[in-house]
Amino acid sequence: MAILEIEGLSAGYGPVRVLHDLSLTIEPGERLGLVGLNGHGKTTFLSAIVGLTGWQDGSVLFRGEQIGGRRTHGMGRKTPQIVRRGIALAPQGDAIFPGLSVRENLDSGAYTGATWRSRRKRRERILEVFPPLAPLLGQTAGTLSGGERRMVSVGRALMSDASLYLVDEPSLGLAPKISLNLVAALLEIDLGDGAMIIAEQNLPLIEGRVDSVLGMHAGDLKLDVGEALGDVPPAAGVHL
Amino acid sequence: MIEVVISALVLASMYGLIAIGISLTWASIGMLNLAQGFIFTAGGYTAWLYAQYAEGWGLEGVGLSAGVLIFGMLGSALAGLFVGAIAFLPLQDRDNFRTRSLIATLAISLIGTQIWLILFGPQNKPLPPVFGEGRIEIGPAGMSYQQLGTIIVASVMLALVILWMRSSRRGLQMRAMMMDPLGAAVVGVSVRSTGMRVLAISGALTGLSSVLLAQVFFVSPTSGVQPLTTGLIISLAGGLGSIPGTVAAAGLIGLAEALTARYLQQSLVPFVLFAIVVLILIFRPRGLGGLLEDVRE
Amino acid sequence: MSETPRLVGRRAWRPHWPVNSTRVFKRRRWPGTKRSMLKLSGRYNPKTLRREMVLTDKKPLFWSVGLLALLLLPLGIASERFFTMFGIICIYAAINVMWTLIIGTAGLQSFATLATVGVGAYGAGYLSVTYAIPWPLMLLVGAVLGGLMGWIISLPARRLDGLYYALLTLGLSEFMRNFVTQSDELGGKFNGALFGVGRIIPSDLLTTRLGQSLLYLTAFIALLIALAVYRWVNGGRTGILLRAAATSKEDEAFASALGIDFNKERTRVFIIASAMLGFLGAFYATYIGGTSLQLFSLELLLLLLAMIVIGGLGRAEGAVVGTVIVVGITQWFTDWGPWRIVLVGVLALASVLFTRNGLFGLKAQIEEIRDRRKALYRAGITSRYAEFLPQQAPEIHDKSAIVGRVFERSLRDRLRSWISPELIAEHEAKPLGQHSDRLERMLNYFRKAPIPDKYVVYCEVPFESYRVVALSGLPGVPPRIVDDKKYASLDEAYHAVFLRRVNDLRAH
Repeated sequence: MAILEIEGLSAGYGPVRVLHDLSLTIEPGERLGLVGLNGHGKTTFLSAIVGLTGWQDGSVLFRGEQIGGRRTHGMGRKTPQIVRRGIALAPQGDAIFPGLSVRENLDSGAYTGATWRSRRKRRERILEVFPPLAPLLGQTAGTLSGGERRMVSVGRALMSDASLYLVDEPSLGLAPKISLNLVAALLEIDLGDGAMIIAEQNLPLIEGRVDSVLGMHAGDLKLDVGEALGDVPPAAGVHL
Repeated sequence: MIEVVISALVLASMYGLIAIGISLTWASIGMLNLAQGFIFTAGGYTAWLYAQYAEGWGLEGVGLSAGVLIFGMLGSALAGLFVGAIAFLPLQDRDNFRTRSLIATLAISLIGTQIWLILFGPQNKPLPPVFGEGRIEIGPAGMSYQQLGTIIVASVMLALVILWMRSSRRGLQMRAMMMDPLGAAVVGVSVRSTGMRVLAISGALTGLSSVLLAQVFFVSPTSGVQPLTTGLIISLAGGLGSIPGTVAAAGLIGLAEALTARYLQQSLVPFVLFAIVVLILIFRPRGLGGLLEDVRE
Repeated sequence: MSETPRLVGRRAWRPHWPVNSTRVFKRRRWPGTKRSMLKLSGRYNPKTLRREMVLTDKKPLFWSVGLLALLLLPLGIASERFFTMFGIICIYAAINVMWTLIIGTAGLQSFATLATVGVGAYGAGYLSVTYAIPWPLMLLVGAVLGGLMGWIISLPARRLDGLYYALLTLGLSEFMRNFVTQSDELGGKFNGALFGVGRIIPSDLLTTRLGQSLLYLTAFIALLIALAVYRWVNGGRTGILLRAAATSKEDEAFASALGIDFNKERTRVFIIASAMLGFLGAFYATYIGGTSLQLFSLELLLLLLAMIVIGGLGRAEGAVVGTVIVVGITQWFTDWGPWRIVLVGVLALASVLFTRNGLFGLKAQIEEIRDRRKALYRAGITSRYAEFLPQQAPEIHDKSAIVGRVFERSLRDRLRSWISPELIAEHEAKPLGQHSDRLERMLNYFRKAPIPDKYVVYCEVPFESYRVVALSGLPGVPPRIVDDKKYASLDEAYHAVFLRRVNDLRAH
């Protein structure tokens, strides 16, 4: 069964419509890259899956269960329930808890009873993925650098037993070397039966290492990634 | 002098509990619960009802006392949930939540006072002494069992709550929600259920304070007004949302009240308290522990 | 205050009726001013070709009728019960109107209303009891004390966040009550009540119906004074600018850009309102011939809050109507006992839970819901309106431009779908001459493009060198050179222009 089946998804905020009738299917074990310029709907797309948009319409089936549907208000009201079904989101801008320590931030990702009891083991697994966090466990998250914060945010998402990981712009605001390491670590994680969607503006970071890449342009999904990123390629077979 | 300190600690214990309840509710769900007076009185009446029945069954001693305390906390916790169901859940994701929930809690306060009047009448109702009647001598001064018991019970309760917040999963979720609601949502923390939990806990603390205060005063329909005001002033001075600040402010206010009552006049107490709070707010507009507010924003 | 026109929605309907009059441009005005009475104006209806009267604003009419009813009802019925009830209505309504001035115009969430009233009442009352000052002086003293209190309370307002300030003022009433109870001269002997305060109507007259009527009249006049002050402050330059600044969520920079010192003006309004509250307090003392601790009770404060919440926060008519409702309930159903207040509390709760701004906010609320639904619906149906935001449609005067844009978009979409390597090869083979249907349509579209930024072929050396340039469209401005490629034949140049145009079509 497909992990995610989206059909006719439209979403927006207030009178502005951001996504126009999107359809997409994601199979287990698939890693999908979503590229596009800023403001074209990547974040809205990931938000719409968990219900964080102003309004949305269209069917979103997560492992066969409907988590979308027509909704005209109540942004974020159903998000905790949707997340608990097994979707983990690392939002743009991290949304970590600045007053808590790194350890507590990671622990907050293990929100079910079972995951909470095994949280130490899970934490150690995250530290294997992101070794630079190991000496920072006791530090207050508000004092971390950008790259460390990103690692905490992604690490927190990885703490739960999610079937679908949504990562929004992992390289945003980071120095090239750090984002390279971060995204590399992300792409090496064993997904098992799950799936991952990475929304990224920097195509070379994920090109070739994800199973497929889709472009997002003005709220529409496009197969032609180059067009989504704004290079308008010359018509085939002609040189100017 | 020792009596002043003891007196201060007792006052700080009693009013600090309410103040912490107000502070917690504000920090975690952004709601200023001014129906604390209603919740306070609910605990008092529940404890009184229990005392009536228990004495009827001939229950005495520890059983009676423990029951009074427990039922006081229970009654207030339930009242807190009730307030949440009316003023928090319906308004929580609508616009202008802060002002509207404030007005809603004030309306509940208005209705509640009348309901208590209708149900229990205007007479003062006493509670049986929870800590016994004796005194204990420590060094040059002595304090009554009631005073000692108040300080101990309040401190233990506070310590338990803080411990729970720091080490349990739900406590972590509560603290997380105070800092970043979006982050909390993506780790499956529902503002609604956490908010109700917070209201129940702050209600329980208020209920405990109600029983402790009723040892000195009585339970009546309007008995919640003055504690609410004092609790409000303390949490203002301590900084809404900062537990350490609120504890410090409670100590300060308790000390001020005890000193004023002892060396000046009882009638000047409101002035002194008010002046202290205004002074604190002039120099630190966000209260003693205003740092958490900055973090939240 | 006339209604601001809404940009989306229906045209506002104003009541109008035909009259038999030959005077078209004359209208009744208040003598000496240019204000028309009741906002009635005469006009000539071009559709029915008749002279008619139009009511441009219903508010003055409602106010006049309401105030007239408030005046005449108790005087007409003249029962004790009515006098009491309506007297309380007038006084509380006046207080609430001033409170609305504080919350709405000055934007300060202050709960110190009753404290200020009490200061005026007790101050003037004490002076009257001790020194037997005449009532005009009492009222003046009340106003001065109120203004002073307002100044003191306004000091923390600058430093504190709105919510903190609300809480501080809430605690203030409690402390005032404590102070008065403890102080002997101010009534500690009688549990906070003062007796024997001088009254405006001499006491021996009060037992008669005439005396009662006169007493009520004084209360009504107090209400009128409060309303006049409200109108004066709110409708004046300061009030308007303060309210405009408030719409941007306490942005003081915006307010100072409007030309006023935000904090100073706010404080001024607050002090004026507080002075009025003190005046009303002193008046209250003369009205009942004494003062009581009830003025500082939390219950009364909450009742006043319920009045303005039910009526609608921020509007004078809301304050008055809310007062009428709540006092009506509490005074009329006295045999209900405490259930009256329960009812008031439930109404206030319902107002805050279900309405956006009480009774007088209902109309705006319904309209807002309807507008929002419309906007959501428009956003959700198709992407047809993606050329502009749905709200902009009514703002565009030339509606045919909308149709034009929709057509353009669909046309470009269709042409874009025809772009293929075969089409391009076809054009390369034969730029001029007969083409397939699709290519021909595309070329027609390109050739009909407007001149600014149109790609054309520039002949440098005939039969040898051609380039592609873009026309500027402005007289006297030379075309800009697009790139540095030179083409040996005209056909190549034509094709290059075509490729550029196709690229532009793909990009947008």
